[in-house]
Amino acid sequence: MQAFSNIVRFVVCILLQMLLFNRLWLFGICHPYVYILCLLALPIQVPRWVEMLIGAATGLIMDCICSSPGVHMAACTLVAYLRPMMIKALVQEPDRVVQDISSAVIGKTEYLKLLVLLTLIHHTAVFMFDAWSLAAWWLTLIRIVCSSALTILLLLAYDRLRYA
Amino acid sequence: MRSLLQFIGRHFNFLLLLLLEIVAFVLMATMQPFRQAAFLTSANRLVAQINSVASDVTAYFSLRTQNEELARENADLRFALETLRNRIEPLEEDSSLYQYAHLMNDYIPARVVDLTTDRPHNHLTLNKGLRDGIRPGQGVISAEGVVGTVSAVSEYYALVVPLIHTQTRISCRILPSGSTCFTSWNGVSDRYAALEDVARHVSIAVGDTVVTSGLGGIFEENTPVGIVEQAELGEHDSYYRVRIRLTTDFRHLRYVQIISNPTIEEIREIEHASI
Repeated sequence: MQAFSNIVRFVVCILLQMLLFNRLWLFGICHPYVYILCLLALPIQVPRWVEMLIGAATGLIMDCICSSPGVHMAACTLVAYLRPMMIKALVQEPDRVVQDISSAVIGKTEYLKLLVLLTLIHHTAVFMFDAWSLAAWWLTLIRIVCSSALTILLLLAYDRLRYA
Repeated sequence: MRSLLQFIGRHFNFLLLLLLEIVAFVLMATMQPFRQAAFLTSANRLVAQINSVASDVTAYFSLRTQNEELARENADLRFALETLRNRIEPLEEDSSLYQYAHLMNDYIPARVVDLTTDRPHNHLTLNKGLRDGIRPGQGVISAEGVVGTVSAVSEYYALVVPLIHTQTRISCRILPSGSTCFTSWNGVSDRYAALEDVARHVSIAVGDTVVTSGLGGIFEENTPVGIVEQAELGEHDSYYRVRIRLTTDFRHLRYVQIISNPTIEEIREIEHASI
């Protein structure tokens, strides 16, 4: 059942990203990548190497969609590698958490911290690798900050609506 | 051997991370700056099909503006046709004019199914591919002006590297002076680009039009590119810093034409032979 809900979330995240959020142009600087929710919400019981493979596969699919070979794959693999470490650092007795990760399960502040850190890491990696040069670094920086902020807001709003 | 296995076992996760990151970086490095493998891009059939359905739906919301644009283009074309007809009539007797007809460009209409404008390496996906005679390297134009060049082709779809891509350089001519230069794009705004190679002695003024030079055979001569909006020359500079406003509105691009030049192979061959 949990596996099924995760697969559904994965498909919905990818399609929403592809059909809605990739077509959103907010002043040319805000490009939220909300699909990372399907990585953030994975239950902690998933073995780390499986999680990393899921991350790499998710990234590769997103790369096919965005025509950016390798960019999302690198970022998502990094997120999948760091997430279990962060959860272990943030949550006491992480082994008792069996549900998908959300604010209702690990607490509001912990979830916010996790969300902010992982979103920033992911977006920084994506926008830097996508730029592939430091030519317009200030623009890349603005894009990272604005897009991360929007992604965090959207995912927090979703979390509130879903688990309030 | 055993200690090696132990080492791998202990650091398995980190080694897997390294391996996956290396794969990702190899992909990034080999696909830069242009994406050539169609299946790894949005010209991938599954991705393109989903995008195509989505753009079918959204296309209905802009039918009115699309119609107005088409009507305007029709009027322009009719005017051009009349002008040409008037010019040709007195020459009709001279059959030597017709012997080059088979060398004329073919224009293949296509619909944009996916595009980005807010990235340094933007792309467009078109709903025409190998089956329709699309090949990498062909030029793409819209009713408004130059769009870009085809970089990868799958069976049914094509990936286009537009003018608004940091590695694109299109050979241009500034009118009325007629001097040649290149476009370049810095990744900032999808409405503006810069011109390179505009030397000090060239006469250039704000409001000059920039059109393709036709060199290289990818684009027809005199396809609009932009309007000069700013031309600065410092006291010691040898080149102008020129900003142009692009005629093509990339954000609202829906229909384009791919130029299939039957002589392009010949042009390439000659160019290679001379090098």
